[in-house]
Amino acid sequence: MNRQSPRAAAAWIAIGLPTAALLALLGAGACGRPTPKEAEQVFRFRLREDPPTLDPALVTDNLSEAITANVFRGLVAMDPESLDVVPAVAASWTVSPDGLVYTFRLRAGARFQNGRPVAADDVAWSFRRLLHKDTHSPRRWLLEPVAGAADFAAGRAGDVPGIVVSAPDTVTLRLERPFAPFLAMLTMSGASIVPREVYDDPAKGYRRAPIGCGPFQVTRWEQANVIEMKAFDGYWGGRPAVDRILVRIIENRTTALEEYRAGGLDSLDEAPENPGPDLAAEVHRYPFISVGYIGFNLGLAPFKGNAALRKAFNYAVDKDYLWNVLMPGGNIPGRGIIPPGIPGHDPDLPGYPRDQAKALSLLAEAGYPGGRGLPPITLWVNTSEDNRRIAQQVQADLRKVGVSIAIREVDWAAYLQAVEGTVAVPGQAQMFRFGWSLDYPDADAVLRLQLHSRNAGPPGNYFRYANPEFDRLVDEALVMTDPKARADNYRRAERMAVMDDAVWLFLNYYQSATLFKPYVKGIVHTPLGEFRIPLERLVIEKPAA
Amino acid sequence: MIGYIVRRLLGLLPVLAAAAALVWALMFLLPGDPARLLAGGQGADPEVVRAIRVEWGLDLPPWRQFVGYAARLLRFDLGTSYIQGRPVTAVIGDHLIPTLVLAIAATVLAAAGGIVLGSLAALRRGRAADTAVLTLALVGASAPVFWVGLLLIVVFASWLGWLPVVGYGLDGATLPFVGIRLPEWDHLVLPAVTLALVSMGAIARVTRASLLDVAGAGYVATARSRGAGRLRVFLQHGLRNALVPVVTVVGLNLAALLGGAVATEFVFAWPGLGKALVRAIALRDIPVVEGCVLALTAVYVVASLGVDLLYPVLDPRLSSP
Repeated sequence: MNRQSPRAAAAWIAIGLPTAALLALLGAGACGRPTPKEAEQVFRFRLREDPPTLDPALVTDNLSEAITANVFRGLVAMDPESLDVVPAVAASWTVSPDGLVYTFRLRAGARFQNGRPVAADDVAWSFRRLLHKDTHSPRRWLLEPVAGAADFAAGRAGDVPGIVVSAPDTVTLRLERPFAPFLAMLTMSGASIVPREVYDDPAKGYRRAPIGCGPFQVTRWEQANVIEMKAFDGYWGGRPAVDRILVRIIENRTTALEEYRAGGLDSLDEAPENPGPDLAAEVHRYPFISVGYIGFNLGLAPFKGNAALRKAFNYAVDKDYLWNVLMPGGNIPGRGIIPPGIPGHDPDLPGYPRDQAKALSLLAEAGYPGGRGLPPITLWVNTSEDNRRIAQQVQADLRKVGVSIAIREVDWAAYLQAVEGTVAVPGQAQMFRFGWSLDYPDADAVLRLQLHSRNAGPPGNYFRYANPEFDRLVDEALVMTDPKARADNYRRAERMAVMDDAVWLFLNYYQSATLFKPYVKGIVHTPLGEFRIPLERLVIEKPAA
Repeated sequence: MIGYIVRRLLGLLPVLAAAAALVWALMFLLPGDPARLLAGGQGADPEVVRAIRVEWGLDLPPWRQFVGYAARLLRFDLGTSYIQGRPVTAVIGDHLIPTLVLAIAATVLAAAGGIVLGSLAALRRGRAADTAVLTLALVGASAPVFWVGLLLIVVFASWLGWLPVVGYGLDGATLPFVGIRLPEWDHLVLPAVTLALVSMGAIARVTRASLLDVAGAGYVATARSRGAGRLRVFLQHGLRNALVPVVTVVGLNLAALLGGAVATEFVFAWPGLGKALVRAIALRDIPVVEGCVLALTAVYVVASLGVDLLYPVLDPRLSSP
């Protein structure tokens, strides 16, 4: 007789029951899957990570912007092609002749995604929220030109006298002094208008269920898996053609590409350098207002007070080889600071094309003939495959003129600490690779924020660049109203920082390279970056299965 | 038995305390300022950084930070995620279910495949089948998970189109009460097989060695001499007695998968706890790092306890732990 012991039976039950339950649940999931609606237009794209935040007041990165740019709107917006400031929630605006008073008239029919009309009070409340110290907004500087904003942000005043609701559909902003890029700054996510009844919530439920007045509404956010947005019927600009957007979180670039090939994605950022014949026609390349460089720490030896050495490094590195041979198809070899497409960009700036003879001569002039006598130099990069390749190529090029450098790769948080230092003390990194995306399409967004001596250290000028004439030109441009004269100031300031002071090792101007399936129509190649392509303009013309 | 379980569970407390202290110290020593990252990283406003430090208590002296952390843990409060602004328990809950599902599925596959292959190798000792199994086991144990995963994706998803490439799926069933979604079954197959292949080799080798060990035991010869059928001898007298070391390997493997499937989660975009932990470290989301490490420690210890409790079921001689 074949007798099963009760212990063995218990073991089989212990193992079998949970397994059977698991399989049953998975099966139920598969069987209960809803079938997509017939004519529903769905657009699926990939983000490599979850956005750190969906609160527009806290957004500083392009992953978050990929979502918030579709959910929220401000008074004004940036035309994604021309980069002109265009109406958004404000149907029109006027600027006083002295450039101090901006009056915005709100459009009738603008609604939040909870159904409530947008009023001028919402604008004032959203702006005060951005400035309020408890919001901890990294973008409160957008409104600091407004009269009284700085005192309110510091907690020294209970209100902002420069923000006035003059009628239910009219809001006025009065500035302390003229500020040329002010309107452009109001196009940023931080200046989005939000409904008070949702955002005045101590439990901060809006962090996972944001409500704005943009064309899409977030309907689901599953961490590390998917964000779903649906078209907002009440959008003032007209309901988008795309009904639903699925943002898939896929970190690995290789598997994301396989998913795109298999049809699980309609678009993919980070298109491969060599896409192959099957994908070549689906790669869209277009300029991105962003600049890549290796910063020199002018507060530390050997770069402190030695422009000849910094120029020698610039001439030693072959930017053409880097971007046309080693890493082709992505970026454009850089010559300076202001990217193409931004007023003030100088197409005649010579920059530093590779010239080993000049590099050797400048090394001798700098006091280090043939690289002899240089102290140990370390190039810091934050961990990424691309950064590693760039750093290794720079290292190889410098070795050809006798200069040895080490490479140190650390994660982003440790990297920032090594680079920034404090206001008074330079960071420990002597050379560091960086990319800087302009928050608004104005040379001010890079020249002042990155290189003005007032911003030395953590505020953005990690290089400790201090040139009074440069500062004067940039400060002057900030209050100029004539666009031509402003651009001229910026061109002169850029020449000074590039050709006289060689404050960076100038590497590249960025390009976006995005894959789109041929059935995705209405794609705008915006210089604001691939995550700012207006999704409300897309149309999915998929052939019937 | 109940006394034993209680004693083992109480033994979990010092392990958790040590893990909690260690992870706190490591995060404290790690360079990089969470407040600066929260304030936007590049070009962060120093005033905002200062305000965030005050809000999260990062401006306090280290000993006060540690005391606050320990006091929270004693109240069973894992804190709030710096990044997500919600309780760490909710963050862990979101990621623990995908990890558990994947680890259990991979372990079931690895155990079933490993035991069958190991038995086959033992029954055909010295023949071609034995060599093939041993070779496969070696390859499985040596191949990097990353590589195996990509290979399976290319073959079964990209070429054959039988299975989805990556992800957890969008429409799986939702667990009642907790509202956490399960994966779609077809999305589970490739990551589970990838993980299973890696551990299947070790299980097959242990099964084979253990079976060969008991094959020479007196009770097997006795069963044969009493005329028991070959299958009955194998199943009831051979395999059952050979399973004790196999269960150890399977159990420890399950425990390791619960915290160590990061590479597989990365390749397959699986929203598991390992990946969440790595991301929290990168973003210096310290409460989430601490919570994940404590959760993984607890799961590991409880899984080891489960293995210990299975021993007496398989071998009554081990019933007095």
